[in-house]
Amino acid sequence: MGTKSRNYYLIPYVLWIALFVVAPILLVLYYSFFNIEGHFTLENYKKFFTPVYLKMTFSSFWYAFLITFFTFIIAYPTAYLLTKTKHKQLWLLLIIVPSWINLLLKAYAFIGIFGTYGAANKFLEAMGVGGKQILFTDFSFVFVSVYIFLPFMILPIFNALNDLNPSLIDASNDLGASPLTTFKRVIFPLTLDGVKAGCQIVFIPALSLFMLTRLIAGNRVITLGTAIEQHFLVTQDWGMGATIAVFLIIAMVIIMLLTGKRKSGMLR
Amino acid sequence: MTDKTIIRFQQVTKQYDNDPAVLDNVSFEIERGKFYTLLGPSGCGKTTILRLIAGFIEPSDGNIYFNGKKVNQLPANKRQVNTVFQDYALFPHLNVFENVAFGLRIKKMKSNIVEQKVKEALRFVNLEGYENREIREMSGGQRQRVAIARAIVNEPEVILLDEPLSALDLKLRTEMQYELRELQRNLGITFIFVTHDQEEALAMSDEIFVLNNGKIEQSGNPNDIYDEPINRFVADFIGESNIVSGTMLEDYVVKFTGKTFECVDGGFHPNEDVEIVIRPEDLEITKPQDGKLQVKVDSQLFRGVHYEISCYDNDGNEWLVHSTKKATVGENIGLHFESEAIHVMRYDETEEDFDKRLEAYEEGSHGN
Amino acid sequence: MNKKFKLSSIYLVAIFLILYAPIFYLVFYSFNSGGDMYGFEGFTLEWYKEIFQDTRLLIIVLNTIIVALLSAAISTLLGVAGALAIYYARKRQTKNALLSLNNVLIVSPDVIIGASFLIFFTMIGIKLGFISVLLAHIAFSVPIVVLMVLPKLEEMSTSMIYAALDLGASRFDVLTKVILPFITPGIFAGFFMALTYSLDDFAVTFFVTGNGFSTLSVEIYSLARQGVSLGINALSALLFLFTLLLVIGYYFITKKNDRPNRMGVRQ
Repeated sequence: MGTKSRNYYLIPYVLWIALFVVAPILLVLYYSFFNIEGHFTLENYKKFFTPVYLKMTFSSFWYAFLITFFTFIIAYPTAYLLTKTKHKQLWLLLIIVPSWINLLLKAYAFIGIFGTYGAANKFLEAMGVGGKQILFTDFSFVFVSVYIFLPFMILPIFNALNDLNPSLIDASNDLGASPLTTFKRVIFPLTLDGVKAGCQIVFIPALSLFMLTRLIAGNRVITLGTAIEQHFLVTQDWGMGATIAVFLIIAMVIIMLLTGKRKSGMLR
Repeated sequence: MTDKTIIRFQQVTKQYDNDPAVLDNVSFEIERGKFYTLLGPSGCGKTTILRLIAGFIEPSDGNIYFNGKKVNQLPANKRQVNTVFQDYALFPHLNVFENVAFGLRIKKMKSNIVEQKVKEALRFVNLEGYENREIREMSGGQRQRVAIARAIVNEPEVILLDEPLSALDLKLRTEMQYELRELQRNLGITFIFVTHDQEEALAMSDEIFVLNNGKIEQSGNPNDIYDEPINRFVADFIGESNIVSGTMLEDYVVKFTGKTFECVDGGFHPNEDVEIVIRPEDLEITKPQDGKLQVKVDSQLFRGVHYEISCYDNDGNEWLVHSTKKATVGENIGLHFESEAIHVMRYDETEEDFDKRLEAYEEGSHGN
Repeated sequence: MNKKFKLSSIYLVAIFLILYAPIFYLVFYSFNSGGDMYGFEGFTLEWYKEIFQDTRLLIIVLNTIIVALLSAAISTLLGVAGALAIYYARKRQTKNALLSLNNVLIVSPDVIIGASFLIFFTMIGIKLGFISVLLAHIAFSVPIVVLMVLPKLEEMSTSMIYAALDLGASRFDVLTKVILPFITPGIFAGFFMALTYSLDDFAVTFFVTGNGFSTLSVEIYSLARQGVSLGINALSALLFLFTLLLVIGYYFITKKNDRPNRMGVRQ
């Protein structure tokens, strides 16, 4: 705009940024330097580097990796096949609908399905394998997580595949590439951004969703998220909780940098 | 300044931050009721002038007068000027009627008057009966007309048109050129038209301003500018030209390509270095011995109405010829031209000096 | 070719079955008179009756809806202002900085948002309860609204604003007669997204709610931690229906907007 005009819209917006974006993050950092008695200390950081916490961090990353990996393995073919269907937008919508249903309800459903007398065990018995403890194992945690994250991974990959110019595939065939080569050299590299976005959307929550571990994994799996919840809401050791949160934020930033700049995580 | 003057730019400069000036110390006057064209390559400052007149931007230096009043800081919504935008800038959420009515509604005009005026404006642009159409249902040419109707309905004193025909295909563009010219004559208001298309400028305007690098190179009516370009840039930009360097031996005698020719230009220093322009359509193919110049045909293209023949003389100058007759590549031919076809240009002459010289030698030739 | 087609169809159908099975499992057992999710004994509507008679639960539902509507409305106002602020920012760097700050809450894990808001509210002395939950919901919905509105603004050609000014419109006219009508679909989509984010949120609410105030998600969590109770099944059947209605509503909003692809997935 050529004429001088103040950007008044900035006032409420910057206020919001200052109060709810900047201040809370700074407060987390500030609290990480206080122990449970309220003394300024580096104790929490020292504690974070003891084997107990390092092991917890490592296993949290390991589970997040497994979840992301399996979600990707299932999501890519699904997205690919979806783009080949006739009414692809409708099918996509149907894939997305489950993601709109409260996560807790889906987790709750698995309490029933994986329970001692649940459908999964009945199936195993019928197959002659016999009943097993499924609920409260790391298997159930990974399975339910993959189930929950699947639509989030499918969507960006689907969009990337859908945006792919079909004449590129024709060109590749025309130049003598086999379908497999075309996939390896053309389709996959061009949809890599979608894959990265999907991994980002899955990996970060997989590190932090505490309610899943609580409901599905019992106390067998403790993620960074669970640990933060534990310290803030159960043991009331906010300092230690804030310290873990600082590391989770650092991990988040690193993942974001690795998976490239995206306009937004979940919205297209 | 006369009472005919409606807009006056007085040494106007527009500069963003520390970048070079987009418009550099420009002065001119616009008269009421004429069709003006600002012509120049992209980045020459023509659109900047338009935006300064519309009030979307303010000059960094100098003054702009509208009807004798200084309007440097007057915001766009307070000016008696309306713009037809390059992308039309129609409001997609309003239908044709409401788009045209927008300005009138802002002025809180009574709805029966609004209706009457909008209908009249739509009739002017041949869009009767399209009132309730949505913008997205209209073709490019129709949108163009809606944009024009939206501007004229406010009865502005000046209408600014920012390359409004550039998005149309060739046939429609030619049609709209006629229509715009017609519309301007019927309405009798000032049109300021911006384009980079020299044919469009020549076809439509009463006055053309040729701009380059933020300065006005030359202004005048289309004939003058075509026949008497002030310098190499104008000669090159408007129409096609053969430009060679030469020497003015004395008034009405010029030497180029090693030969001496009679011409009709005067007012030079003896033996002054000059540039010579001869338009391709002024060159006529003859037998080598009959021509004033001897050249060899290098290549030729068929352009529909004529052949465009590229030739070279012995000094390596290229001569472009427009001819209805076909030539043979590799053939030696002669080129004939009238002495009136030679136009002599001085190096670095300002428009003011150019005009003065033209006047002086014309008077002089009258005296003869 | 035909065989390949069949294989891929089987794969897709399997994925759909797995995605929907747990949901239908829940709904199916909500009609079980047996009282657990393990054996279907007989059809009953008892569990639906039970939840409709549970005044505590109904109050929680009401709380959830009030928080959602209020937070969506307020965050839409703030979000539209935010989008306009970013749109009007003159310098590229300002624009990018604002956008990055905007996206922080979108990419942050819920635990981080919850924990940091808990610290924040405690620091400035806001009692945990309705107000803190409402503020938190407004806070995390604002960037979503911004992201829904901003593309619409960017889509708008600047010459349209110039055209309005040129036709005599004041700055206020430009806002109300040109910009707002143009971005209305984005505003609706933003409001809608904010609504669903708020209705769906568990983790942030869980952190910042105190005793005595609860939303549906928090209630479901505490019920689910106690084990299976078919009241939750009945509740989830109703919520599933409600979600379907929302999805259909959103589908039509975006359809009208010619952007079926804008469909967001939510966590």
